[in-house]
Amino acid sequence: MTNTAPITAEELNRPGAADLAARAQDVSKVYGSGDARVVALDHVSVGIPRGRFTAIMGPSGSGKSTLMHCMAGLDSVSSGQVLIGDVELTRLDDKRLTRLRRDRIGFVFQAFNLVPTLTALENITLPMDIAGRKPDREWLDTVIDTVGLRDRLRHRPSELSGGQQQRVACARALASRPEIVFADEPTGNLDSRSGAEVLGFLRSSVREMGQTIVMVTHDPAAAAYSDLVLFLSDGRVVDQMGDPTAEKVLERMKGFDRPGSDA
Amino acid sequence: MMAKVTLRNLAAHKLRLVLTAVSVVLGVAMVAGTFIFTDTMSRQFDDLFNSIGKGVAVDVRGKQIVDGMDATGAPVRPPVPAAVLDRLRTVEGVKNPIGNVTGYAALIGKDGKAAATVGPPQLGVNWVETGGSSDFKLISGRAPAGPAEAAVDESTLERAGYKVGDQAKILLQGPTHSVTIVGVIETPNLMGATVTAFDTATAQRLLLKPGFFSDISMDTTGVSQEVLRDRVAQVLPAGMEAITGKQLVEEGKSDIEGFLTFFRTLLLVFGLIAVFVGAFIIFNTFSMLVAQRTRELALLRAIGASRRQVTRAVLGEAFAVGVVGSTLGLAAGYGIATLLNGAINTSDEGGLVFTATPVIWSYVVGVTITVVAAYFPARRAAKTPPVAAMREEVRPAQRTLRLRVIIGTVMTVGGAAAVFGGLASGTLELLGVGAFLVFLGVTMLAPVISQPVIRLLGAVFPRLFGTPGRLARENALRNPRRTASTASALMIGLALVSGINVVQASAVSSIGQSIDKQFGADYILMSETQMPFSPEAFKAVSQAPGVERATALYMGQINVEGKALGVQSGDTAGLVAGGRMQVVSGSTQLGKDGILVSEDVAKARKWTVGSPVAAQFADGARQQLRVAGIYARNDLLGGAPVLPLETYLAHTAQPLAVLGLIDVANADTATRQGVERALAQFPNLQLQNQAELKETFQKQLDQLVVLLTILLAMSIIIAVIGVVNTLALSVIERTREIGLLRAVGTSRRQLRRMIRLESVVIAVFGTLLGVVLGVAFGAAIQNGLADSGLQVLSIPVPTLAVYVVLGGVVGVLAALWPAWRAGRMDVLKAIATE
Repeated sequence: MTNTAPITAEELNRPGAADLAARAQDVSKVYGSGDARVVALDHVSVGIPRGRFTAIMGPSGSGKSTLMHCMAGLDSVSSGQVLIGDVELTRLDDKRLTRLRRDRIGFVFQAFNLVPTLTALENITLPMDIAGRKPDREWLDTVIDTVGLRDRLRHRPSELSGGQQQRVACARALASRPEIVFADEPTGNLDSRSGAEVLGFLRSSVREMGQTIVMVTHDPAAAAYSDLVLFLSDGRVVDQMGDPTAEKVLERMKGFDRPGSDA
Repeated sequence: MMAKVTLRNLAAHKLRLVLTAVSVVLGVAMVAGTFIFTDTMSRQFDDLFNSIGKGVAVDVRGKQIVDGMDATGAPVRPPVPAAVLDRLRTVEGVKNPIGNVTGYAALIGKDGKAAATVGPPQLGVNWVETGGSSDFKLISGRAPAGPAEAAVDESTLERAGYKVGDQAKILLQGPTHSVTIVGVIETPNLMGATVTAFDTATAQRLLLKPGFFSDISMDTTGVSQEVLRDRVAQVLPAGMEAITGKQLVEEGKSDIEGFLTFFRTLLLVFGLIAVFVGAFIIFNTFSMLVAQRTRELALLRAIGASRRQVTRAVLGEAFAVGVVGSTLGLAAGYGIATLLNGAINTSDEGGLVFTATPVIWSYVVGVTITVVAAYFPARRAAKTPPVAAMREEVRPAQRTLRLRVIIGTVMTVGGAAAVFGGLASGTLELLGVGAFLVFLGVTMLAPVISQPVIRLLGAVFPRLFGTPGRLARENALRNPRRTASTASALMIGLALVSGINVVQASAVSSIGQSIDKQFGADYILMSETQMPFSPEAFKAVSQAPGVERATALYMGQINVEGKALGVQSGDTAGLVAGGRMQVVSGSTQLGKDGILVSEDVAKARKWTVGSPVAAQFADGARQQLRVAGIYARNDLLGGAPVLPLETYLAHTAQPLAVLGLIDVANADTATRQGVERALAQFPNLQLQNQAELKETFQKQLDQLVVLLTILLAMSIIIAVIGVVNTLALSVIERTREIGLLRAVGTSRRQLRRMIRLESVVIAVFGTLLGVVLGVAFGAAIQNGLADSGLQVLSIPVPTLAVYVVLGGVVGVLAALWPAWRAGRMDVLKAIATE
């Protein structure tokens, strides 16, 4: 059961629960009010195991991106608690939250990951530069070599291909050795070959460097790179799957195609 | 349909368009305010002259022989002998002829300060019981009688802090006069002029010449003004003339109209500069709006809108902004005029004059400038290829700057040539057009210049401010055109202010140098208002202990070959020594008919020592003079010919000195105090040594600089709004990037710092461009006027450095709001914004 994430509040709080890098406890996120009220997350409890590659899957509107945004401290929750390690995000003010994102979290977005005025290398070291910290040279070299971009470091984003840009974004996310990396559809804008490169790189960073990664995706092939898949539907965690393959995930996803269907 | 697109866009970008409209509003407000204010002044002056002309059918006065003005700004005319008044009483049709005396008299306030300011005239008149000078009425007390009484107009009395029965001193061109204020006069709106009235004999003695009037006005028993004028003219002695009351009013109006036209043109120039600066802001805003809407415009093109329709849609927005901006500007201009009118006008009679002129100007200027400035962005919008709608990332192609460099260089060089041409020929219009072209040319070149300069300015940013510093520099470099046109708006105001400062500093240095070179006396005596003063002062000074020589310098006008020529006079030996005159040929022994002329005049008129000069004096007398000597160019005495004192005095009704040169045995404190004691009766006179004289000039020039800077302030404010606008739009444009920066851990503070630094670097770049250009303009002007007394070029480095620093401060201020907005932006936008 080490490959699975606890999905109920009781399990999360059970003494000796699996080593979790982040967790959400009874998190709800509601937009609007009255007739316009939309429940994006409906009492979600989830834990992200440390040193694992976790994928969050679900159809459009299932709340998977919202869950990630809330867990990463990008968005506030309506109720419930979010913890990174043992720090409760829901209690932090903007200043501390910013510092936490900077120092303990890495991000890879679907698009627009890089600051266009900075070179690839400057983009990679950006979070550390902002923090005024010196990057760990050795680790930086390792990361750069792993993404395989040593000869493109002086290029601006506009001079890189989409796949290269995403790899730079991955390198940035990893360079500061964050506790956890959140990736939001990192391959959504890439062709399958570039996507495979990026996903392979993310997986190897988990396997070889012990990184914790959470990835939101709707692509079963992408989810297949992960160790554990959490399925979201209508704002709730409805299932999980260890050691996924593209076929198994696709099969499971078919169950969500009909709106309102339950797992 | 396209109209709907235009309207929807206006609604969607309200804030941006409001900011754009503000830049139109301010410029238009200055233009409209100028018209409303000067129209109002013009109307008020007309009212004044109409009231003065009321009851005057014919006016008799001395014929003006030589062009020139006296101390009250009136033309110099020989006075009218009192005997003429008696003769006029015998003319049939003349009713109630009144001899008027008008001269300079200023009440000294309770605080000891003369109410004498530069500006509206301070009139001394004779009080005439029956009707007299038109609308003057006694409202309390009684009419002045005898040498020690005076009546004063209501508002001046109030300002000076006196009431009826108080003792007061009155400043005259001669010695100060003590009176008891016995009456208060109600006057029509005198536009700031003050009135002090004496009885006729006293007025003649103090203001003019005993037994003489300035003019004689009279009413008619019924015959027309023209008929009466002709009858009166027949009885007048030689040198006198009669004019109708209508003509008198017209003359007054046309004199003041000349001044008002100058005043209006001056203010308009500054208003139009502000409008011109506003054009940059409009251009920039529309460029950015079009760039942000590339996909939308491409979609319109893809579904079949023609280029022309797209252009028109954008121009339609500009038109709307122009109309709204002009309307608000017109309203603001009305407000400005109200404030100015309130500040200048003591009585609140009559409101503002609001004609069609300011309305037409406001809309024409406001709408035209907006549409013209938006034309280029609109054309660029029309060129959007339809395929851009389908592209994922919209990246407007960076067009080459080569064409810009060529056009910009041609304009700059052409403009510079026009500036020099204008200076050489003294054509102000050419100078203005040249400066305008240089501004446009440098603006065209600014994107190219901006790259190295901003790289250099921002070089220390990464080290000092870390990553936000580096990002700020890169952002400023990112769109050279945008940075450049934002900076250019600031450049214009700063260039003009810096140029003025360079000219001022050069003038101060030049005057200082001239004083060092030509100031031969120990002290110079001048009135604070630089008004001519009575030679009585010299009698007093000569008697002070230790004074060796007190030389009065007189100015006047004579006619030579039918044209007025400014002349000066004084004790020749005193002038030669006090002004360090160098005689290059002939001698300074003038006798009764010899004159000393400067080299320049001698050259221009082809005079040599011994040349005969046929002269006519202000009193009409003619005399054959001869050139006795020629003196080298002299900065203190200027180039005017020097007449023998005796001859000058013989032909001048009321000789007035413009300055005095005083030599003492020992320039110590005791001597000086003695001289100042001797001058106690002349509180408006100022005794100055070389250093003090330099300081006085500097102060006067400083005041001028302050005034011009205030007039340019509006342009600079508009430019600052431009920086705010650019930054705010950039922040919107970079929403995703800012979101990303926030997501990866940039704090709000760091983000604000980044935007602030970008603002600072743009502002400092604009300021630097302006200062450099201003120094170039200033140097060009100094060079052009080197022969007219501006021989030294002096660059006020500390002042200019302060401007650059202020430029940085402006940058910080301009960034406040955009930075706050950026900091407040939602982090999720990085991912959410599609």
